[in-house]
Amino acid sequence: MNSLECVHEARIVSAVLSGAWPGEDLALAAHTEYCEICREVVEVAVVLRADHEFARREVQVPVAGQVWWRSAVRARLESAQAATRPMTWLHGVTAAITIGIMLAGIGMAWPTIAEGVAWAREVVGPLVSNAEVSGVVSGVLRQSVLIALAAAACLVIAPVLLYFALSND
Amino acid sequence: MRETTLTDMERLGAFDEAERTFQMTEEAFRVFYELTARPIRVYLSRMTGDDRLADDLLQETYYKFLRSNAAFESDDHRKNYLFRIATNLVHDHRRRPRVEVAASTATQEAVASPADAHSAERAAARIDLDRAMDHLKPRERSLLWLAYAQGWSHEEIATALGVKTASLKAMLFRARHRLAVILKNPGGRS
Repeated sequence: MNSLECVHEARIVSAVLSGAWPGEDLALAAHTEYCEICREVVEVAVVLRADHEFARREVQVPVAGQVWWRSAVRARLESAQAATRPMTWLHGVTAAITIGIMLAGIGMAWPTIAEGVAWAREVVGPLVSNAEVSGVVSGVLRQSVLIALAAAACLVIAPVLLYFALSND
Repeated sequence: MRETTLTDMERLGAFDEAERTFQMTEEAFRVFYELTARPIRVYLSRMTGDDRLADDLLQETYYKFLRSNAAFESDDHRKNYLFRIATNLVHDHRRRPRVEVAASTATQEAVASPADAHSAERAAARIDLDRAMDHLKPRERSLLWLAYAQGWSHEEIATALGVKTASLKAMLFRARHRLAVILKNPGGRS
């Protein structure tokens, strides 16, 4: 025996849990009279064992099939949620790539657009004697190109924004 | 994030899929459940002091058990693992902020069923034990229950609670002494 445990502890617990305490082993019962550790073991084990036995008889548990069924449905639901998570990410990434490509396209096409506007000015300029008229025409051309680009951007971005706005519903 | 729901057909499909998802067959689960459900339910009830919560945690315990990928050497190992899940769930629940404090199970039982002298006596004993256990730390409650209600060895308890066997002996000694003192003197503290 040391200060924390007694060699007889396991035998005493076993006897109490099997309902055989104090039983025939008088030496063991006598031991608890002078061993403080074993005396406390008996006091605690008898109370806990009685409570456990009573509760085991009284307690109501769901049938195994019900627990299995609920677990199966929950597992399926979690799998479905896990499956939709990458799709949401994929939509976001696709939208970001589309916007990026569109901006890159505009950036790359910008010199061509500017050249087109300059060419239109050169073509229209000699035909129309009034310099102000040619300036107005080229200005309108530049404006309409910008408006067309903005409209195209809205057509791409609007569905993406709409998707993210409604995805919580 | 959009909330995912299942149709009735998908729910039916879940039943077929379960045996592939879970670590045991339904038949093996039934056998294991019959052996362990009552001890686990009583353990959860005594650790939380709340029958309704114990019911929820029982379902959660078996769900986590079925979804686990752990390999088991024996039925005892499987049972210890189940108690470990239950213990962790109780501790997790304790860490969460509580919205309302449910009436203790013992009090509910005492009010609901003092039909005869025996059940009244049992209810009184239950209340005394509940009050005594309330003075103990959650881990002390767990190890006392596993040691003296379940009859587990020190090694089994150490495995289930995730502590070293050497530390467990000291913890068990202190917890047992505290409970013995409280049971002898219900009004006072250890």
